[in-house]
Amino acid sequence: MTSARVPAALLGACAALVLLVAVAFAVGRFPVSAGDLASILWSRLTGTEHGLDPTIETVVLRIRGPRVAAALLIGAALAAAGAAYQNMFRNPLVSPDILGVSAGAAVGAVLGIFLSLNVIMIQSLAFAFGLGAVGLVYITANAVRGHDPLLVLVLAGVVVGSLLGACVALMKYLADPYNQLPAITFWLLGSLASASPEDVWSTLPLMLLGLVPMWLLRWRINLLALDDEEARALGVDTGRIRLTVIAAATLMTSASVAISGVIGWIGLVIPHFARMLVGPDFSRLLPTSILLGAAFLLGVDTLARTVARIEIPLGVLTAFVGTPLFLWQLATARKGWQ
Amino acid sequence: MPAGSQWQRQDHPFKTLLGLLPAQGGAVRVDEMDLRARARNEIARRVSYVPQAHAAFFPFTVEEVVLMGRTAHLGLFSSPSRRDREAARGAMARMQIEHLAASVYTRISGGERQLTLIARALAQEARVAVMDEPTANLDFGNQVRVLQHIQALARSGIGVLLSTHDPDHAFICADRVAMLHDGRLARLGEPGATITPESLREIYGVEVAVVRVPLGNGKERRVCIPGNTL
Amino acid sequence: MVVDAAGRRIELPARVERVYAAGPPASILVFAVAPDKLIGWTSTWREAERPVIAKKYADLPTLGRLTGRGNTANVEVVLQARPDLIIDYGTVSPTLASLADRVQQQTGIPYLLIGGDFEGMADAIRQIGTVAGEAGRAEELARYAETTVSEISRRVAEVPPARRPRVYYGRGPLGLNTGLAGSISADFIERLGAINVAAELGKGGLVQVSIEQVLRWNPDVVVTIDPNFHAIARVHPTWRELPAIKAGRFHLAPNLPFGWIDFPPSVNRLIGLRWLASILYPDAFPEDLRPIVRDFYARCYHQTPSESQLDQLLRPSSPPA
Repeated sequence: MTSARVPAALLGACAALVLLVAVAFAVGRFPVSAGDLASILWSRLTGTEHGLDPTIETVVLRIRGPRVAAALLIGAALAAAGAAYQNMFRNPLVSPDILGVSAGAAVGAVLGIFLSLNVIMIQSLAFAFGLGAVGLVYITANAVRGHDPLLVLVLAGVVVGSLLGACVALMKYLADPYNQLPAITFWLLGSLASASPEDVWSTLPLMLLGLVPMWLLRWRINLLALDDEEARALGVDTGRIRLTVIAAATLMTSASVAISGVIGWIGLVIPHFARMLVGPDFSRLLPTSILLGAAFLLGVDTLARTVARIEIPLGVLTAFVGTPLFLWQLATARKGWQ
Repeated sequence: MPAGSQWQRQDHPFKTLLGLLPAQGGAVRVDEMDLRARARNEIARRVSYVPQAHAAFFPFTVEEVVLMGRTAHLGLFSSPSRRDREAARGAMARMQIEHLAASVYTRISGGERQLTLIARALAQEARVAVMDEPTANLDFGNQVRVLQHIQALARSGIGVLLSTHDPDHAFICADRVAMLHDGRLARLGEPGATITPESLREIYGVEVAVVRVPLGNGKERRVCIPGNTL
Repeated sequence: MVVDAAGRRIELPARVERVYAAGPPASILVFAVAPDKLIGWTSTWREAERPVIAKKYADLPTLGRLTGRGNTANVEVVLQARPDLIIDYGTVSPTLASLADRVQQQTGIPYLLIGGDFEGMADAIRQIGTVAGEAGRAEELARYAETTVSEISRRVAEVPPARRPRVYYGRGPLGLNTGLAGSISADFIERLGAINVAAELGKGGLVQVSIEQVLRWNPDVVVTIDPNFHAIARVHPTWRELPAIKAGRFHLAPNLPFGWIDFPPSVNRLIGLRWLASILYPDAFPEDLRPIVRDFYARCYHQTPSESQLDQLLRPSSPPA
């Protein structure tokens, strides 16, 4: 893709996203037309009355609005983290979970549910444990010298992730089957059904804290795709850039998982599509992944709450949608990544 | 660091020269600058590295790969500017691969990839280029092409440190040669004086004759000919 | 203004006409006390369960659960149903309290938590009656609950300790999951003065055991709610050797429309308690169960079962070996 076409493509993607947001508001048990949506937002901005049914305002500002915002943020974050990791690990089969952040967050949340703590604590524990798990993986990997640093990271991630998975299994076994176990199962499947404005406001700064360094370092992240020695010979401090990428990706992913539970596939599949569209240059890949990821999760979440009478968990739906997409991509994508 | 090109046989000394491995004793200096305490991009501004052409993972274009050579001159948060793109184009022009600028690196030939990597090192604008067996895995035509470009590079004032397993390469383009054997420097000097049947016997353990061949324009070149048992 | 079981102060609307019950135990409770105010169920009825309650109630929409124990309800669905009050009945914990706060904040609908322990059932019934405006029926039902329980306790107390059976409660299709002492699943055993064989493993929740363990315990009576286990155990080479099963003292609890023992923990357990009492202590509880069951269903589920339905409910649960 030539550099001239890229801004046009991004602009097109933004427009599509805005359209998708309008659709997301328009469908559902409480349809909110674009006009009503505009009126309510306007009345909030200017302090005037909108004259509509107050329930619609409740739906827009406290139920649907936060949910849409959360879907956009989390989709963007997971896709960005996936894109960065795929570059860093030089492997298109990598997802943001490879270093154990989701497994860690799961342990934190399940622990919170197991101890019957309130929701804020559950989310905070999920966030903290997600960061902790990756920290543990990083420290473990650093302690092992003399091997390919990336390979060691991946192996440490697999091992720690496995251990954390066993912790979750143990807690599920010991949990109260009536009150806690369903909550645990539900959390592990991922959902945005209870996204609140507070969730969105608390997650937004963490996302930015992760995205900004990634954007600033976009050129150097390209060079991480080279052999480590080559990159260093070109002037890149690979150890520090890697650490920054891991920290940024983990921050974003952990914050996402704390709000929504475990949602897979986005970090794996979306960067692929983005790469097929705009190539591997991270300065194009990052914005494209963000837009596609946001749109994808918003679309899936809209399906999750409209397709059936009850909510379908997001993790389930992204797998149902993502797996065939991924297989199709794998079958046709020799040109895509090699 | 001497100007001109040299011929060596192992790459650990390479990595020490590039500052990728710590020196085992003494110090490595480039232009009177001790490498030990230097930041990566400072080193990179003085020494560039051309590895063997490899298969890459992601489909960057040739121009993007050459642009990567400009990283040493970029700030931490910067992306390549127009000046950087011009430098990259210039480097590609010198290596005569401008026509490949928009091609995908993973889909060009081995020889073209090697030239791309050399162009990348050129774009780095370092005074010394360290090349690790750049003709390995190339067909004969590409080997010749690459060696010709390297020769032109050395003549333009860039110090080229080249490693190879083929002694003829030294005869083709080296001003000085270092022969390494068992981890130590066995010989150092001009190619004609250093690469002799005796030194080759010592290092490789085979009988080789070194023959002078007239090239027609009053010049002559030495060539290694494997011994009389063949 | 009322203070709920989690200590939250809830402002109630003046009139409550539409109640959303957030989970199965709450559904049953609200259905018993104020059936016409219930706006929907948390899960869909299965065909076998429908005939036992009145059609107009069985036809109420399925809205999903909103208890934080596994939401299947879409908040917007709840909002669309426009309840005046959301009620949840069961174990109360800080997790559930904070989730209730969230939903209340999001929707503006008051969300009341009522404690679900068995001893407090009469009070829970009364509280629903007060908030839902059905104080009269609630009082009647609460008295029925109190009388039933106290009568059972009185008669059980007269049974000498030697005649108290040892009971194994087998859950799951393999019958190898059981409740420890004090668990909400198996507390009916203690309530009936019998001995829970699993009590020797300590207090707690549910636990997996092995067949050898059960054989060693050698219970006098085996109770289950799983029809698969009930069918298999009588032909399984190891289970059928268990003396209790050989002797035919192996009972499958009825479960239409709601389970009689164990799940969900709500007023449905009252009839289960009486049923099991007559099984464990036939001398102390000699009365024919049919009129008792008929009465219970009329009171709590608002429909008198037909004779064939009674047959189905009370079919002999342990055929002779």
